[in-house]
Amino acid sequence: MASAADDVVYFDNNATTPVAPEVVEAMMPYLTTEYFNASSAYERARPVAEAVTRSRATLARFLGGVEPDTILFTSCATESVNAAIRGAVHANPHRRHIITTRVEHPAVLEVCKEMAGAGLEVTFLPVDRSGRLDTRDFIRALQPDTLLVAVMHANNETGVIFPIEELSRLTKETDPEILFFTDATQTAGKLPLDLRRTLPHADMLACSGHKLHAPKGVGALYVKRGTRCRPFMVGGHQESGRRAGTENVPFIVGMARAVELAEDRHDATVHRIRTLRDRLEKELTARIPCLEVNGHDAPRLPNTLNLAVHFIEGEGMLYQLNDHGICASSGSACTSGSLEPSHVLKAMRIPFTAIHGSVRFSLSRYTTEGEVDRVIEVFPTIVANLRRLSPYWDQRHDRPRPESEAMMREESSPAG
Amino acid sequence: MWIACSARGSTLVIFLAARYSAPPTDRFLPTTTTVPNMGWEYSDKTKQIFMDAVQGKPGTHLGEIENPDGFGEHGSIACGDALRFTFRVERDPADPLKDVIVEARYLTFGCTSAIAASEALCTLIEQGGYTPIQALKITNGNIVDFLDGLPAQKIHCSVMGAEALEAAVFNWAQRRGVDLRELGVDIRPEEREEGRIVCQCFTLSEPDLKRKIRELGLKTIADITGAIKAGGACMSCHHVPGGLQDLLNQVWGPQPTVLKVLPSYPEPREGPPGSQDEISPFQFSKKVEKAMEEYIRPMLQQHGGDVELVDIKDTLLYVRLTGSCAGCAGAGQTQKLMIETTLKETVDERIRVIAV
Repeated sequence: MASAADDVVYFDNNATTPVAPEVVEAMMPYLTTEYFNASSAYERARPVAEAVTRSRATLARFLGGVEPDTILFTSCATESVNAAIRGAVHANPHRRHIITTRVEHPAVLEVCKEMAGAGLEVTFLPVDRSGRLDTRDFIRALQPDTLLVAVMHANNETGVIFPIEELSRLTKETDPEILFFTDATQTAGKLPLDLRRTLPHADMLACSGHKLHAPKGVGALYVKRGTRCRPFMVGGHQESGRRAGTENVPFIVGMARAVELAEDRHDATVHRIRTLRDRLEKELTARIPCLEVNGHDAPRLPNTLNLAVHFIEGEGMLYQLNDHGICASSGSACTSGSLEPSHVLKAMRIPFTAIHGSVRFSLSRYTTEGEVDRVIEVFPTIVANLRRLSPYWDQRHDRPRPESEAMMREESSPAG
Repeated sequence: MWIACSARGSTLVIFLAARYSAPPTDRFLPTTTTVPNMGWEYSDKTKQIFMDAVQGKPGTHLGEIENPDGFGEHGSIACGDALRFTFRVERDPADPLKDVIVEARYLTFGCTSAIAASEALCTLIEQGGYTPIQALKITNGNIVDFLDGLPAQKIHCSVMGAEALEAAVFNWAQRRGVDLRELGVDIRPEEREEGRIVCQCFTLSEPDLKRKIRELGLKTIADITGAIKAGGACMSCHHVPGGLQDLLNQVWGPQPTVLKVLPSYPEPREGPPGSQDEISPFQFSKKVEKAMEEYIRPMLQQHGGDVELVDIKDTLLYVRLTGSCAGCAGAGQTQKLMIETTLKETVDERIRVIAV
């Protein structure tokens, strides 16, 4: 394990990742002796400015060899998202329509809802039972005054990947003036991101440091040259006046180092993670009855396993996992602080019997085989423990009660 | 104190205090503050009770009594928590009112605190040696006390316990021929079935909500949501006429409120096709379809391919190439150009074809 304590079995890498020791090492000089302001004129500040320049070049190369001046450093992916959407809306007042999806991260959804409140028209595209978008819906949604398309690359909860290559191409072929923005927070470091070859039609892309073993507090935003987008953070002239605020040099350096580590033996690492995830999925589905893999039929991130366990509630599972030192997360209402289960699972019409019983295991390159074994060992018992208490489960025959079984096929409503 | 402590409850705290030694005061957590997200702000006792229950430790109460003397349910799987509660009494041969509850069991679908609250309910009842009527005096406040407090957004778990108990006592009364109304016992589970539904998400009716607002001393919409979930999902019932704020005003008198109008999202509009002096969109698509059927599809089919018209937007045509050429980028480009050229010649020169 990287920097986390050894007794922690960490399966929540879509929430955040442990900081890689190499990243900490790369950051240390800029937290200690190299504290100078990158914008200062004197000699001692020059290496600091150069570190930012190098980091920007690293990010630009990582994203497919784009021009370094298209990369802006921000404080997090949420800031990048705000900058992209608000910046696009402010710069294109003659257009009043945004297309997004029902399953975006709240960073995108809430900004879009705010835009709707401010008089813009927003189309929230639905997804199917596996979390996929329908291209027909997408095409139908494009309008003459569409200003922006904001579609995530992969979903943080289910790991379902959207075909943004195709969607961005369709957008630009329909109307080159429509801006295409993608939130790639979950894919940077997990899937190849090539803004020159596979994603030439994307105008803006957001990503975050802490999802790929950099610390929290740094993100990046790619803005293609010539994109009509106004600055979100206004103030000093940093980042060529497109993102004010003193450069957070240690974290920028850390993010660049994290990106280098992600590039290093990328394919082999992703293959290893996928193999572990597939084993976890196969073993758990074999051992636990009435279990669904959310997004099963869709292309998914190699590190994400989102399970819907029928007839029990997610928090009780997380709590028992926690008791075994295993960290995972759930889209159940009880864990979210609100009273509603995950908007993503609702949009997918996951049946009521399972929508409260979701558990997400998300792996990273630090996940070991032994840790996967540990989950395989304890999770079936955890599920059985709660089913023994469930009024929908036939305890005597260890199966759903007959009347519950029919409910398993009833899709929940995506409204609300 | 917790937001939920009914008038009935406050007398009961005294009633129960005589029977139970209260937990040491230093273990009471300041639970009134809103806990951000979950963070499992549970007391040690809640956590312990939950773990004992899921591991089926001796002395826990999970299960269902066969042929129970009292049976009550509350909640549903759609709401995210549900409790099935059963009890058995030692019947008094002469007077059913002297029946004493000797065994209580639960099956619960819900989170950590819902399961702990169910366990607490059964323990309180069994330890008390109550008659069913006496057991009614157990309120959600007592359950919260027993658990050394619950986070504000988990109060509804304790309310669920009290509700299921009421339903079970009601059921016992029916089985034993006890007229609760005559005894002046004010439980009306049937109210939930009647009256205008105010909160559609959790199916709560006006009389039910008003009763809860009064009994649990709920003063704000946030209180209501914390205690009984109402208004916690789509929030559309907050400030509409006859909504939660109106009910609060009716119970407690009008309060100053800030109106929040939630935006609505209009349906996507249809794209305007061309200007007025042109053919209608209907005529346009008919001409496109005709050209597709007469020239384009036969041509493609000769080469083992085919095309599907996905959508028409103004003069933009979205097509999906299928068959033998679908996977080949070079052939796809050629065919797209062929389709576009044919349609430009036969239908409208402004047509552009986009491959989906």
